[in-house]
Amino acid sequence: MENKNISQIAIERIKEEKIKPISRKVFNLKKIFFWTAVVLSLIIGAFMFSLVLSGLFNNDWDLYDRFGFNFIFKTLPYFWLGSLVVFTVLGEYYYRQTLFGYRHTIIVVVGVYMAFSILFGSAFYIIGASDFFEKALVDVTPVYRNIIFNRGEVWTHPEKGLLSGKITEVSDDEIKIVDGDGLIWTVNVNSLSDRDDLNLKINDQVKVTGDIMDDNFFIAEELRFW
Amino acid sequence: MVDHSLCENQTDESLVGMSLVDPDHFLCLSRRYEDKLLRYIIRVSKFSREEAEDVLQDVFIKTYYNLNGFDKELKFSSWIYRITHNEAVSAIRKKSVRPSIAFEEEDLVKFGDVFDMTKEMDNSLDRKMIDEALYRLDEKYREVLVLRFLDEKDYTEIADILKKPTSTIGNLILRGKKLFKEEYEKLTYGK
Repeated sequence: MENKNISQIAIERIKEEKIKPISRKVFNLKKIFFWTAVVLSLIIGAFMFSLVLSGLFNNDWDLYDRFGFNFIFKTLPYFWLGSLVVFTVLGEYYYRQTLFGYRHTIIVVVGVYMAFSILFGSAFYIIGASDFFEKALVDVTPVYRNIIFNRGEVWTHPEKGLLSGKITEVSDDEIKIVDGDGLIWTVNVNSLSDRDDLNLKINDQVKVTGDIMDDNFFIAEELRFW
Repeated sequence: MVDHSLCENQTDESLVGMSLVDPDHFLCLSRRYEDKLLRYIIRVSKFSREEAEDVLQDVFIKTYYNLNGFDKELKFSSWIYRITHNEAVSAIRKKSVRPSIAFEEEDLVKFGDVFDMTKEMDNSLDRKMIDEALYRLDEKYREVLVLRFLDEKDYTEIADILKKPTSTIGNLILRGKKLFKEEYEKLTYGK
């Protein structure tokens, strides 16, 4: 195939139009950006997994007999599971943008991502980082607080023996809590066997099982912290 | 002015470095790939030679513009083929033409060897049939077959050009060969 002019024409255009190669810094910045995004999504994914574990281990499985499967089903940590999926997708996307990201199949990339999340997420859970992270989120994020403390409104059914909220007053026999709807409840805690060990304080977020006795009056059988 | 005879002993990678210092060296690189890339563009598009030359010019300018983005962990030929592939695909879409394969005599021989069809492939009708059989394939099969059997790229190079995993390329080639044979046989029986 005889073709001698295209290269010459192209180089003449490059000179005429004064085309300069894009700076190497731009490409380096892109590389740094995508690798940083990969690492960050891995770390955040690991945190998400630690919070999934925390949600699963603190899911009041022992109340299954009393309140049934529906109760357990509604209180699973969907928010964190959803977030884990989102960060896995993001991690896979950013990895694809790296130089050789395309060389691995989606199954391999997602598999490695999940393995990393499970390994480091479990470590974060074991060392208590998930609790610290969750508390920090509750303190600074009202949206998250609503998701956690009103999840499925499962714990806001005093007629079914389930009550939750924030402690506003503490006395010897009773505490007052404000529930998710803003109602103030007086809760008798006399029958709690571990009453002295609980060390209840104002602003603690608690879940109570028991019986409703009167308007906004509740007798606690068991009390747990969120 | 660059003495182009001095370029001949240089590797692609060192010519990239030299082109960044003096654009005239880029001429050595572009000349090295001119024929191969022009043939590739014509093979994967329905463009005339003049149209393909316009696309190739854009390829060279884009390559020069992005020269600092070339990573030496990749083969330069894979990189410039990738740019060419993307430009060709984008030009095909802009023109909304039916992508097709423009066969030369040597292409027929290469394809014939691969598919063991040499006996039947010595007339223009067969050439049209190969073209038609390839056209009937999905684009993903067509592009790997062209790169593998006409441009004679290995799996890793095709993976780098098309930005797909090597295992995917292997599967696409295997499946593409099978589908191509089926389509070609259907056309041959109907002749």
